Amino acid sequence: MRLRDLWAETWEALDANRGRSLLTVLGIVIGISAVIAMTALIGGVRQGLMGELGLDRARVITMGVYNGSQVRTEDIAKIEEGLPEYEYITGSSYGGGKVASDAKSVDGQVLGIAPHYFDVTGQKLVEGRTFTSGENDSASTVAILDKTSAHNLFGDEDALGQKVRIKGIEYRVVGLLENSQQTDPKGVTAYVPLKACVQRVTGYDNVDMLSGMAREGEDIDSLVTKTKDFLATYYHLSDEDVENGLYVSSMKSMIDSFNSVMFTFQLLMTSVASISLVVGGIGIMNMMLTNVTERIREIGLRKALGARRSDITRQFLLESVCLTLAGGAIGIVLGYLGAFALGGVATGLLASGDSGMSLTVTPVIEPMAVLGATGICVLIGVVFGYYPARRAAKLDPVESLHYQ
Amino acid sequence: MLPVIDVRDVHRIYDSGGVPTHALRGVSLTVRKGEFLCIMGPSGSGKSTLMNILGCLDTPTSGSYLLEGVDVAKLGDDELAQVRATRIGFVFQSFNLLPRSTVIRNVMLPLLYTDVAPRDRERRACEALASVGLPAEYFDHRSNELSGGQMQRVAIARALVNDPALVLADEPTGNLDSATSEVVLNTFVRMRDAGKTVVLITHDPEVATWADRCVHIRDGRLLTDEQERAHVMRSESRGRGST
Repeated sequence: MRLRDLWAETWEALDANRGRSLLTVLGIVIGISAVIAMTALIGGVRQGLMGELGLDRARVITMGVYNGSQVRTEDIAKIEEGLPEYEYITGSSYGGGKVASDAKSVDGQVLGIAPHYFDVTGQKLVEGRTFTSGENDSASTVAILDKTSAHNLFGDEDALGQKVRIKGIEYRVVGLLENSQQTDPKGVTAYVPLKACVQRVTGYDNVDMLSGMAREGEDIDSLVTKTKDFLATYYHLSDEDVENGLYVSSMKSMIDSFNSVMFTFQLLMTSVASISLVVGGIGIMNMMLTNVTERIREIGLRKALGARRSDITRQFLLESVCLTLAGGAIGIVLGYLGAFALGGVATGLLASGDSGMSLTVTPVIEPMAVLGATGICVLIGVVFGYYPARRAAKLDPVESLHYQ
Repeated sequence: MLPVIDVRDVHRIYDSGGVPTHALRGVSLTVRKGEFLCIMGPSGSGKSTLMNILGCLDTPTSGSYLLEGVDVAKLGDDELAQVRATRIGFVFQSFNLLPRSTVIRNVMLPLLYTDVAPRDRERRACEALASVGLPAEYFDHRSNELSGGQMQRVAIARALVNDPALVLADEPTGNLDSATSEVVLNTFVRMRDAGKTVVLITHDPEVATWADRCVHIRDGRLLTDEQERAHVMRSESRGRGST
């Protein structure tokens, strides 16, 4: 039997039972759309986070000493020296207060930053420049703003080259940043050289947060441990302080824990989807068995007219595979529609919530997911269609011709 | 010339639930090409079994069956299917058309299982339908929209479409009234005239008169001509006795 004929016969048979066929594949539709929606959403969340974090971010280790020890700006270089596994170590110091332009004064925060700070946070400069090493060393009065802050201070005017006043001292704006998680939609975030911040804004030489970029190929987990030991020794921390006041953590562990959460979620969804697919498969088998019984005379006739067992097997197998594939196709479309709807809702919720997180969840259409779903459908069609098809093929032509 | 059917000492024993049923007990039969043969017998006589074996739907327990010189008694499932697809045309009492399909698709159905190229199928189906005298306007009708006589002619066209060596008809007029029966039987006569070999199975003596030759089967055995005459006389005397 030619493939084209097989298709024609299959189409005719399925077309005759359109309503029943549609109902039968519902299980497959649900299962496949769940798998597709889940894959697309997880892919979207991951991509959103990674995009936010940047590729190098897996090598970043963040440290904080919170037992009251003073972390001086000069310590940064000393830690860098003591831990050559890092390409560089940077840090930031936080100061609150008002930031003012000639026109207005806005509540905000001032961040004193050491060199490489933006490399670690992944923030991107869109205009102007970062601080020069001279400006860093001499605690120059220069500042960098993000776009929202610039807008809040200067409106539509170009902020570059303008002056902002912090604690009565004027700073010249030399760079503009893209908005990021640090962006305060109503306030101002101004970045100044670390030394300028501790000398002129906070008045106290303390670095609130340290971040290091591990050299490529370093084992992050062991470097975290090593960094902890080094800092404990460096700041003479007691065991209790190490327990409560020392924070050393890597993006990798964050990414890992995100992945493990996602994995759990994936496992859960996959098992739900599997159940749905198995139930759907059993539905298909049930329908195909009914089909065989209803068409016993037709099968007998086909055999009498010269159909071999394999012709009959193939015809019924193709019918069940077509059913599951149709279900799969509907499921893929519904799955992606659902994913985009949910992605929009999630993005909206994250933006409006108090979490301050802004994450755009754009579902990812992966060819592998579509291919995989199609493969699963074919598999279900074959597995659950095989028994009915074999049953049809084994029918005795004489008996089935006279079946009432 | 080689006979189309050459059956020699065929036995068929069914094993139904441990009890062997001896359906055919040494049947021998020869049918020439172009012959219109009728096999008559009451139900349970073994005529259906014989028909199934002649149609390669079943194989004999012992004995030989040469179909156009090929011994089909020992063929496997797929080979028998191949023989049915290319050498045998079936006509059934209940037509057995696919009700949702069109007439032309029904007639083309056997060709799906042969090597006939798709472009030739429709032409052959039309030729077969023309030879049974079905008007072309019915070709695209669904088969369940036809009358009984038309359906049976479509079924005969289906039996002819693969140009078989042998057309087997099992009670082809059993579901038809006498006027329609005549049309159908005429179709068989025309097929015979066109050189086809036709074997028709019936229990109706009226139908049997259309055939060139008639054999009777009783209890799994074909009656000889002498037994046949004796049997006819016995039944005639019984007939007289009862009136």
